[in-house]
Amino acid sequence: MKVMIVDDEAAIREALGRKLLRDGFDVVLCKDGLEGLRSFHVERPDLVILDIIMPEGMDGLTVCRRIREIADTPILMLSANAITEDDIIDGLNAGADEYLTKPVRLNEFVARVQALLRRSSMANIETEQRYDDGYLSVDLHRRHVHVNGKKVHLTPTEFKLLAVLLENSGRVVNQRDLLENVWGREYIDDVYYPRVYISQLRRKIERDPANPLYILTEHRIGYRFEKQTHGTQSLI
Amino acid sequence: MQVTSGLTLLVNGLTLAFALSFLIILLWYDARKEVTQFFAVFLFLVLLWNLGSFLAQTLFLVRGAGASVRLPLIMLEFGFTGSSIALYALTASLVKMYSRQFRILLLAALIILFSYRVVIFAAGAPDPFIIDVDGSLSLQSRTPLLLFYLLFDGAALYLLWRYQRKIRLRVLKFGLVLFIGGQSIGFLNPELDTFLISTVVGAVATLIISAGIFQQEIFRPLAERKSQVEAVRNVIASIASQNAVDSILELLVRQSAELIGAEGAAIFLLEDDGLSLKTTYELINDRLGTRLPIGEGVAGTVVQTGKLIQLDDYAREWKGSHEFAYASEFFGAVICAPLVAGGDPIGALMVVASRHDRLFDTEDANLLQLLAAQAAVAITQSRLFAGQTELNMQIEQSRNQLETVLVSTDSPVIAIDREFKLIFANPAAASLVGMSKTDSGTAIVDLLPASAFPDNLRKAFREIRKRRSFTYEAILGSRVYLCHVAGLGRPKMQGWVAVLNDITQLKELDRLKSEMVRMTSHDLKNPLQAAMANVDLLHEDIYETGSDDVRQSIDTIDRQLQRMNRIIRGILDLERLRDGVLALELCPPARIISSAVYEMREFAHEQNVTIDYLAADDLPLISCDVQQLERAIVNLIENAIKFTPTGGKVCVAAERDNDEVVFSVTDTGVGIAPELHERIFDRFYRGKQRGVEHVSGSGLGLSLVKAVVTNHQGKITLESEIGIGTRFFIRIPGV
Repeated sequence: MKVMIVDDEAAIREALGRKLLRDGFDVVLCKDGLEGLRSFHVERPDLVILDIIMPEGMDGLTVCRRIREIADTPILMLSANAITEDDIIDGLNAGADEYLTKPVRLNEFVARVQALLRRSSMANIETEQRYDDGYLSVDLHRRHVHVNGKKVHLTPTEFKLLAVLLENSGRVVNQRDLLENVWGREYIDDVYYPRVYISQLRRKIERDPANPLYILTEHRIGYRFEKQTHGTQSLI
Repeated sequence: MQVTSGLTLLVNGLTLAFALSFLIILLWYDARKEVTQFFAVFLFLVLLWNLGSFLAQTLFLVRGAGASVRLPLIMLEFGFTGSSIALYALTASLVKMYSRQFRILLLAALIILFSYRVVIFAAGAPDPFIIDVDGSLSLQSRTPLLLFYLLFDGAALYLLWRYQRKIRLRVLKFGLVLFIGGQSIGFLNPELDTFLISTVVGAVATLIISAGIFQQEIFRPLAERKSQVEAVRNVIASIASQNAVDSILELLVRQSAELIGAEGAAIFLLEDDGLSLKTTYELINDRLGTRLPIGEGVAGTVVQTGKLIQLDDYAREWKGSHEFAYASEFFGAVICAPLVAGGDPIGALMVVASRHDRLFDTEDANLLQLLAAQAAVAITQSRLFAGQTELNMQIEQSRNQLETVLVSTDSPVIAIDREFKLIFANPAAASLVGMSKTDSGTAIVDLLPASAFPDNLRKAFREIRKRRSFTYEAILGSRVYLCHVAGLGRPKMQGWVAVLNDITQLKELDRLKSEMVRMTSHDLKNPLQAAMANVDLLHEDIYETGSDDVRQSIDTIDRQLQRMNRIIRGILDLERLRDGVLALELCPPARIISSAVYEMREFAHEQNVTIDYLAADDLPLISCDVQQLERAIVNLIENAIKFTPTGGKVCVAAERDNDEVVFSVTDTGVGIAPELHERIFDRFYRGKQRGVEHVSGSGLGLSLVKAVVTNHQGKITLESEIGIGTRFFIRIPGV
């Protein structure tokens, strides 16, 4: 597994790199955004770790968006900058799968990296389950999602989220279960993750994200996937 | 003699016919009046006298002397004597001194007269009146009739003299005296043959008396009423042209005295709980302004009872105390009327005649009462007017003061009405948006940009209704104002007034501070991250293999780095809380304390403090920002551990209290002095208590806790005892 670390602080970059090397990862270190983006094309890492505030033009959020344009590669944001939840949400909205605030202990850091890789490698889900109502079609096994006949690109986390909701369709999945099943046990307290990802997902599959038909919010409890029997065309 | 007697008869007939016609008019005017009734009796008896005289003479001429003349002579005698009695009765009624006994006396006199007549008839004694051979009438035996005459005419004369002031018409007095004189002529020597003259004089006097009574009873009241109406109209008109109470009072006393024909007048007004002599007219006024208790003096009594007092002779009739010195020596007749406004007495109006001056009659009393009523209204009105004027002046004064304050303040002040039209803008506000004075009345939306109004107007109005004020940030041009809006007018809101405070600089400072906090945190956290990562690596590399010293050093570095992390996190948490945005979710309270205790258990262990937690079974779910609330409880636990000596105990609990969840953190620490209970929640405040100087911290912990609890609509309290321990309570409403 190859992990790329983009951080302008050499001390951090190197310490994190050393820990990952020690735990058996291949590591690519980059000192700024531009270098990171270049290396991404060359090295094709399995995971990217991004600092947000970096000098020399390109910041972490931009790098993240640029990577997302071409790949589903899991991205972990590691920032000293987060003060409010909005800062974290900004990061997640840019396409990151994770957001960790500095300082983070190395053990936790490695655990998160591993969880993230585990999530993205869950590409081959065992079930043969398919969903198709004419408007939205999901092939869980082949990881294909089509909306209105067009193929839609989902990040690993988004896909995992959709898969979990679809498997439990008609039932409410509460926040904690969602966190545990999609992100992993260690994420159980990161309550804002589902919120951000659900809204991303809605933007991609719902006809009107403000008035969702598939993914419904059960206020203060969780979310529920509702199958549409006639397809949404008939509702237009 | 024949000629004279014929002439007399004519004169007598005419005069008595006149008198009779007056009587008819009087009776028709008011038959129930006693004066009229007595006058009727009197006139009837005079008529009897004259008729007797006339018939006696006529019969004598026709039939000569004989028995037929007897009856007219008796009529004459009865009429002559009876008219004396009736005159006395009339006089008494004119001077108003009749009484029940007086009527009995009168009746008795008539009975005596009648029985005397019967006695002389039975005794066969000669008639008092005889008719001479030449046909002239004369009084033969005078003694008994003279007795009647002297008794009744004398008494009438006495009454006239004694109460001469009570009969104001001279002609009436003259008539009465003339009648008495006329009757006396009848008692002269019969040889003088004067009885006819007596009859003529009596008839003429009767006519004069009837004319007098007619004037007194009908003409004068009518004329007086007219002049009273005129007078009252004048008084009202002159009062209306005055505003000051003092000039109204002066006018009133003068007019009252002049209208009633009194010599002096005075006005007393009720002030606080006594009367005060306000104004006098032609009276000794050395006691002007002095106080007279209610119930004392004539005026005091009048105010107390609310009833008019009329005295004919002050010295004789007034038994109470005196409001004027020497009143008994100088005052004759007095009338005092209460001044009543709105049912309550406000003073008294008094008119006075001197001892030998005239008396006042009912008409005068009525007039005075009329004036008093008018005066009361005028005084009340003028007092109200004075009060109003003073109030206006005060209002004007405070308006000026307020305007000066508003004009001189640098803060813009704007007032608008319910239709959002400008009422007022002080110079600061005017210059702010380029308004001129003439802009008053224009709609406020045309004067100010949209950024100057609250985002949510509905919410703003609701707040103003509920709390009477609303505060928001208004942006005008490049500057930011804290705009405080309050309702104008109570209880009905007539508009709004807004006071703006320029907070541009404060905002900028705040922004800079936030920016600095962000920068600092970033700049601090990166080295911290690097240090921590390297400590972790070092730990892996040499912790197991290294010496105790190495291990201890690594542990110390680690602890210090963690402490630094906590401090930075505290600052950032507070910064985050200032936004007040909560990520609310439903959560069982037990989870919050268990994870908070879990987080702190290592720290407790390091400090050698045992930590325990206890959650009740019946806890309701709470709606909260789990992270924040957990952080608050962690802070309390951290504090508790820090201030608890080695070997102490910290207990965290969650209990139910009705619909609330009460979290508590109890320690066996040093305690907090009562005077510090409020201050410990202040930002950066650190307790300067003895024995805890070694404890380190940013001083942010408790202020953060308080902010979290407040954001959750909760409450934080504490109980503490020095040397025994402290217990903090957090109350959060359950769902």
